[in-house]
Amino acid sequence: MIARIRAWRFFWIFLALAVVSACGRGGADSYKVIYEMENPSASAEDGVAADSPAPHYRIGVVPKLSNTYFDVVKQGAQEAAWDIDVELLYKVPASTDPQDQIEAIRDLMEQKVDAIAVSANDPQALVPVLGEAKQMGIKIITWDADTEPEAREFYVNMVDPETLGRHLIDTLAWSIGEKGEFAIMTASLSAANQNEWIKWMKAQRQEYYPNMKLVEIVPTDDAPDKAYDAAKELLKKHPNLRGIVGNASVGPPAAAQAVKEADAAGRISVVGLSTPNLMRGYLHEGYAQTATLWSPKKLGYLTVVLARNLLLGQTPYDDQPVEKVGNIRVNGDMIIMGAPLDFTKDNVDQYDF
Amino acid sequence: MISRLRERLKLRNTRLSSKLIMTYLLLTVIPMSLLGYVTYTQFTRSIEEQIGEYMPRFLNQANSNIEQRLMELASLPDLLFNSDDMIAILRRDEEQSVSDRNKDLFSLNSYMSRTYLGGSNPDVLAVFLLSKNRFFQSSKVAYTGFDRDQAIAPYRYELSNLVEKPKIILPSETGLRFQNDVPYILIMKQIADTDNRRILGTMFIAVQLTFIDRILHDFEKNDKADLWVMNGKGERLYHTDPEMIGTFDAEIDRYPIRNGSFRTTGAGPQRLVSVTESAELGWVFVHSIPLKYLTEKTDLVRNVTVFAFIGVVLVTAILAVVLSLNITRPLKKLSRLMKNAEMGHFQVDHSLQSRDEVGSLARSFNSMITTTRELIQTNYRIEIRQKEAELYALQSQINPHFIYNTLETIGMAVEERETETVVDMVTLLGRMLRFSVGNKAKSVPLTDEVQHIRDYLTIQKYRFEDRLTFDIQLGTDIERENLYSPKFILQPIVENAIKHGLETRKVLDIQIGIGKEMSFRSGKQDVVYRIRDNGPGIPAERMAELEEALRSDTHIDKDSGFGLSNVNARIVLMHGPEYGIQLHSIYGKGTEVIVRIPALNGMEGLAESEGMDKSRGEEE
Repeated sequence: MIARIRAWRFFWIFLALAVVSACGRGGADSYKVIYEMENPSASAEDGVAADSPAPHYRIGVVPKLSNTYFDVVKQGAQEAAWDIDVELLYKVPASTDPQDQIEAIRDLMEQKVDAIAVSANDPQALVPVLGEAKQMGIKIITWDADTEPEAREFYVNMVDPETLGRHLIDTLAWSIGEKGEFAIMTASLSAANQNEWIKWMKAQRQEYYPNMKLVEIVPTDDAPDKAYDAAKELLKKHPNLRGIVGNASVGPPAAAQAVKEADAAGRISVVGLSTPNLMRGYLHEGYAQTATLWSPKKLGYLTVVLARNLLLGQTPYDDQPVEKVGNIRVNGDMIIMGAPLDFTKDNVDQYDF
Repeated sequence: MISRLRERLKLRNTRLSSKLIMTYLLLTVIPMSLLGYVTYTQFTRSIEEQIGEYMPRFLNQANSNIEQRLMELASLPDLLFNSDDMIAILRRDEEQSVSDRNKDLFSLNSYMSRTYLGGSNPDVLAVFLLSKNRFFQSSKVAYTGFDRDQAIAPYRYELSNLVEKPKIILPSETGLRFQNDVPYILIMKQIADTDNRRILGTMFIAVQLTFIDRILHDFEKNDKADLWVMNGKGERLYHTDPEMIGTFDAEIDRYPIRNGSFRTTGAGPQRLVSVTESAELGWVFVHSIPLKYLTEKTDLVRNVTVFAFIGVVLVTAILAVVLSLNITRPLKKLSRLMKNAEMGHFQVDHSLQSRDEVGSLARSFNSMITTTRELIQTNYRIEIRQKEAELYALQSQINPHFIYNTLETIGMAVEERETETVVDMVTLLGRMLRFSVGNKAKSVPLTDEVQHIRDYLTIQKYRFEDRLTFDIQLGTDIERENLYSPKFILQPIVENAIKHGLETRKVLDIQIGIGKEMSFRSGKQDVVYRIRDNGPGIPAERMAELEEALRSDTHIDKDSGFGLSNVNARIVLMHGPEYGIQLHSIYGKGTEVIVRIPALNGMEGLAESEGMDKSRGEEE
């Protein structure tokens, strides 16, 4: 009996509810959330790095020495340091002697930098000191000229060495008509990057240019005076010399100056790695035919950005777009910034380094 | 408490059929409607949730497709680097001759026209390039309101710094208008000379919104749905309805979430709104569809269900009503019958012939009524018969003829001075009168009954003298026992014998024998009266009539048979059918009447007759 009374009561309550809910429609505009999506994953990766405030890192950059090329690199490195808010310690060694570079590195270690990027004068000599720095928790990368792989995380290369080496011989061959004697002016016989290029220059000659003959490879120690002397010496020593190719930035201007002084324009061609500013005059006057290089500013910029990224735990990957640099290539532990640029009398004025 | 009690009483007093119908409603209609309601709401909710979960994902997908497409468009400026000549033009300083400058303008404009407005980018409407105070442009459609000074002015300050990321400019932020008001967005991207670490210029790419259309159209083909893209301020830069492009969504700040789905629950049709916000662009993608289109099919199912439900409810309700009436109608009829019986109308109703419990109840009741009625009728008959018998006996006792004849005989005896005879007759008459008047009991001692008939016959003997002879033989065993007999059972028989006998015979002889005999009907020793006369006898057909009259209880016959059948009926009523009167007669020779009664001694007989008296008194 009581159960039935309850049932009745439920029935009335139900009826009342139905009536109430039927009347409940209408009223102010409001929203009822049905589903809330967790943070959309698109573009989250980039967002994380940008969102978390990066610590103010101190990055040490060590060039081979001070010259026009490395000064331009410093400009790029400084620009990057401003852009990404890190402290740049640009430590120039006293000379190309590896011992001086070791000094410079020790100096940076004392200043407790977070990362060191070095352009090595000698691939072996720097390994112990870089090992020490690594022990201190300093991240090591190399740029421009590499060390032994165990000493650093990765190597920021400007161009693919094979491409560059073969291209340099191509520009020379085009200038001298694919035959005749030529000499190579290199920075130091121990610098790893230059030796690598020379290897590919020889290979290219072997492959395509049987009528060209390499007569000598002379070091310049990246010093303009020494390079100038060496160029004059070459002209004197090899009367049949048709071309000089320089694979370090002081080489081609020195050779062009020697050619100018010997009044050998047209007889002897000068090509090689150098900056537009150093070569502009010689190119316009016809003492040099082609200068080849990359943007040293871009190299400095990229080096600092990649060092900072490494400190944030981001290792570079192939085809990675780097802001204000472009897409980079990664080949093992070597990063390649891009393709080489050729400067001739037609376009050298477009460049300001 | 009181109200609950009242409710309870009310419920108890509700009619059974109402209770049955209510119970049916409780057990079927309410659970069914509840079930239907819950199922429907759950189903629509799950549809809502499914769409609500799926739409933001799809929007997110569309969003990333659009972002990707925008990034592709934003990378178009890099194509300039494919041409050294074009880069050379851009790198060139301002100080040139007018002709050189116009030559550069021409080559770069035509290069952009070839590169950007060609086949692979059908969405690009126009490309503008601002570089070192030079304004390059290339357009598919005629436009107004965009040149070096007026259009770019608001962004000039941004041009000094190298900004890698593209910026989207909406039509509301610039004066640029294309012919026919083609909807567009402007992608602003700086061109960086990474080698020289300089900004070469800024490119503006006007893109038709058809690419958004294409991407979104792949996702949503339902034209009932609205899809739009707006910026963080609510400006709709794209809408499936082209009229709406450029308008503002005032509600944007009231949206409860920017990534997910919600339902509008205001006036007007409810809508399911899904939104996602693009992290990259800051755009909000909105998909809005009226709920009723989502639940269209469900609503159809619901309507069908509701109709089917109502139909079923109606049918079952009718069944329930019929069924409960089927149960209660016989009960009602039965109760009416009972009420009638209470009022004294013992009718039998055979319309309740169902074989269920109510039917068997009705049958039992009917048989009870029948039995009751029979009992009543039996009692009634007995009563009437008894009364009639008594009346008759009374009438016989004070038969005026008898008294008149007797008094006449006495008178003659007085004239003849036969004093003794007179005294005898008056004494006899007086005793007879006392016997008939004095004792009201139905049963009297057997000896009194015999004495009474002897008195009667003696008086008749005085009257008819030699014409009548009689003899009464009383068994000695009967005299000893104190036996009882119904009153006035012999006189009607003897009167009958005298009446018929004296009509035809000169001398009538009546023999009366009283004795005990073993009866095979009752299986006991019964008292038997034998009244034998030598009267005319009874003809065979008359005999049959009489026997018929004795057997059938009718007492309508008031003539000669009346006395006999009355006596017989009284005995049968009092003692059962195994007792009563038997007739034997030979026509012309005489008749013998045998009266058989049970042998009851004094107390038994009294008790029996009194008990019957008593019970009869109560009934009356």
